[in-house]
Amino acid sequence: MMKINDLSRRNFLNLVGVAGGSTAIYQTSLAMGVMSETGKPAKLDLKQVKGEKKSVLVLGAGISGLSVAYELERVGYQVTVLEASKRIGGRNLTLRHGDEIDELGQKQICEFDDDPKMYFNAGPARIPGHHRRVLQYCKMLKVPLQIKTNFSRPAYTHEADHFGGEPIRVSRYIADARGFLSELLHKAVDKNIFDESLSPEEIEKLRDFVKNYGDLKADGTYQGTIRGGIKSGGMVIPSASHEPIELRALLDSNFWRSGLVSSENPDWGDPLMEISGGMDGIVKAFVEAIRSEIVTNAQVQSIRNTTEGVAVEYHHGGKRKQLKADWCFNSIPSHFMPSIPNNFADDYIAGLSAMSRGNFFKLGFQMKSRFWEDEGIYGGITRTSQRINQIWYPSADIHSEKGVVLGAYAFHGQSGFFEKMTPAERLNFAADCGEVVHPGYRDQIEAGVSVPWGRMNHMMGCGVIWSDEVRAKYWDRLRLPEGRHYMMGDQISYHSSWQEGALASAEFAMQDMDQRVRAADAATTEAK
Amino acid sequence: MKGDVIKSLVFLLLVAGSLSANGKDRSIPPDDLVYCTVCHGVNLMGNSLLKAPRLSGMASWHVKQQLQSFRHGWRGVHEKDLAGLEMRPMARELTDKQIEQAAKFVASTWSDLPRKTIKGDVGHGKMLYQSCLACHGREGEGNETLRGSPLAGLNDWYVKAQLENYQNERRGHNTEDVYGTQMKAASMVLNSEVDVLDIVSYIATLQPKLRQE
Ligand SMILES: Cc1cc2nc3c(=O)[nH]c(=O)nc-3n(C[C@H](O)[C@H](O)[C@H](O)COP(=O)(O)OP(=O)(O)OC[C@H]3O[C@@H](n4cnc5c(N)ncnc54)[C@H](O)[C@@H]3O)c2cc1C
Repeated sequence: MMKINDLSRRNFLNLVGVAGGSTAIYQTSLAMGVMSETGKPAKLDLKQVKGEKKSVLVLGAGISGLSVAYELERVGYQVTVLEASKRIGGRNLTLRHGDEIDELGQKQICEFDDDPKMYFNAGPARIPGHHRRVLQYCKMLKVPLQIKTNFSRPAYTHEADHFGGEPIRVSRYIADARGFLSELLHKAVDKNIFDESLSPEEIEKLRDFVKNYGDLKADGTYQGTIRGGIKSGGMVIPSASHEPIELRALLDSNFWRSGLVSSENPDWGDPLMEISGGMDGIVKAFVEAIRSEIVTNAQVQSIRNTTEGVAVEYHHGGKRKQLKADWCFNSIPSHFMPSIPNNFADDYIAGLSAMSRGNFFKLGFQMKSRFWEDEGIYGGITRTSQRINQIWYPSADIHSEKGVVLGAYAFHGQSGFFEKMTPAERLNFAADCGEVVHPGYRDQIEAGVSVPWGRMNHMMGCGVIWSDEVRAKYWDRLRLPEGRHYMMGDQISYHSSWQEGALASAEFAMQDMDQRVRAADAATTEAK
Repeated sequence: MKGDVIKSLVFLLLVAGSLSANGKDRSIPPDDLVYCTVCHGVNLMGNSLLKAPRLSGMASWHVKQQLQSFRHGWRGVHEKDLAGLEMRPMARELTDKQIEQAAKFVASTWSDLPRKTIKGDVGHGKMLYQSCLACHGREGEGNETLRGSPLAGLNDWYVKAQLENYQNERRGHNTEDVYGTQMKAASMVLNSEVDVLDIVSYIATLQPKLRQE
């Protein structure tokens, strides 16, 4: 083990930074490969091809496909979008009264009230400020945004096997965790552990830093703090804070493993945004703006590169049809590609087959009243060790009569548990788990929906998982075109399961095509 | 989207004629059966990534029987049979009429034979297969009277997975499932993992006949 004395000053300050969050942010994002190219998105500078009759086929009307149709028709391409589902939007799905949930073999109808406030974002729900492309499109298409609380201090952390199984406020956990860390560090300072690496003035500053960071007493001990929430009083009688949770109990618990630091990741760093009235606002705005034809109920049956372009067969209205175009942009989930006849090179298909299929599961309840607001919770997330993982409270429409709560959110390996159940069993299970956190929860439920993406029609998964090995072997192969065919979508990005990844991938593909069009045009001009 | 139909009609052309095996294009699924193709692929060619086997041209009596097995909960209920569990909800709510339609559609499809993915001793596999002949047929064509599944044309990885399901109480465990319990007993003839690989690689050499239904 590394002794603190051995550390250089710089490393040491970095260590302190970990507790403060900044390094954690950086490291987490690096480790997760989510460092994004921030700043303004490059303006797409695509060559106008009007009058030259260049045509494009877009496969899949998710967010990536829609952005391609929007951008390319503006510069004169003839675009047709083929979408297998009867619905446009792909994984961007907001559920409201009467909507169908097209799960294989277990269709549900959303029975929320017929009220625009009663909606559930079953796919994407959050937009961080550094997702410049999503935000630019929202701005350009006049899609209204609002702040969405993600990390909430008054929300709970609940672990069945810890703290007596009682939910405790996140604020209390944070305050005690910081308090104890600071106390330990203060003790280390007192034992002269840093005398070799820090100057006397720096040591004094460090003492102040940790006192302030953990709200320690003058003697450097931690005895609880009002930062953990007011236990009683505070207005006309003096306030009392909670007794600190024992250090051992904190270490034993699991909240620090993920929930505590979740917001340190830029993708979940408050303040986040959401689209007012539902995430599908961006889909509607695209559809409104796009003039090209979007053919729904058009499942692609084959894709072939030809000498002049790409030929695609699809089924529509009980007929097999074919379209030919100069270019093809394909966002069909990669795990379907081996079962769609094509003439692609073996290693291209091998690459598409090598990514693994991820699974997300979300469940939403319409609640009779906004009981969480009576507990001082306004938006944000409660985390629990139960299979439902999370409970999300709505950030919008504070103090209105009812609200839609996310009642379960499971990822990848954990989703299977819910996928195996019937929709009714899922709701029942999630109601029981909610009851543990909020007694009376079950009685508040008026309607519920569950969306297992691993079983959704034409999706069968979200989002793709790239192992390092597969990334090393196939990333360039898949990112770059096969003939005149481009694979795209969040699956072809370092930001799988984010709309920004989908848009960035589409943008990359369009720019690559544009370069080729320009090069070809230049060659023709020269030949003349 | 202001349906710029004319523009797209310029380069839209209907493919006349047929791509299916029997000269009639019957492989376009009715709307309700597009679901089958989501996992089992275009023309039900199979998709190993979703563990969904090739079904193209499968005899309709067999499709019916399997859908019924799923519906009854004879298949797709064991917690380790993940692919079966995924399939089961598709069959659970089907009416007899829908099963009939699905079987007809499946039988009308065709696709290239699947790629071989398992290497075993084909010669030894052939020897082992002798005890399967009576029910599954010399060419793996199946036997409707004895309810022996057609095996030719299935993906090798799928045949292997099913043999393992039978051997591990994941299939053929329900006493009402008469043929399943028979097959479960029969699967015990294979004494080792090597036997399984050998017989599976032999079965993968059997050529299915195009069906003319
Ligand atoms: C539960 C969940 C939570 C998420 N949370 C967030 C979030 O908070 N923020 C965020 O930004 N992103 C989030 N995402 C990710 C986001 O939804 C996706 O990154 C994005 O929607 C993907 O867009 P896409 O165009 O790449 O693909 P998709 O939307 O998947 O589009 C692919 C399209 O192809 C169609 N298709 C399939 N087969 C065929 C065929 N044979 N022929 C023709 N079409 C076919 C499909 O029907 C679909 O419409 C979340 C996703 C899920 C599921």
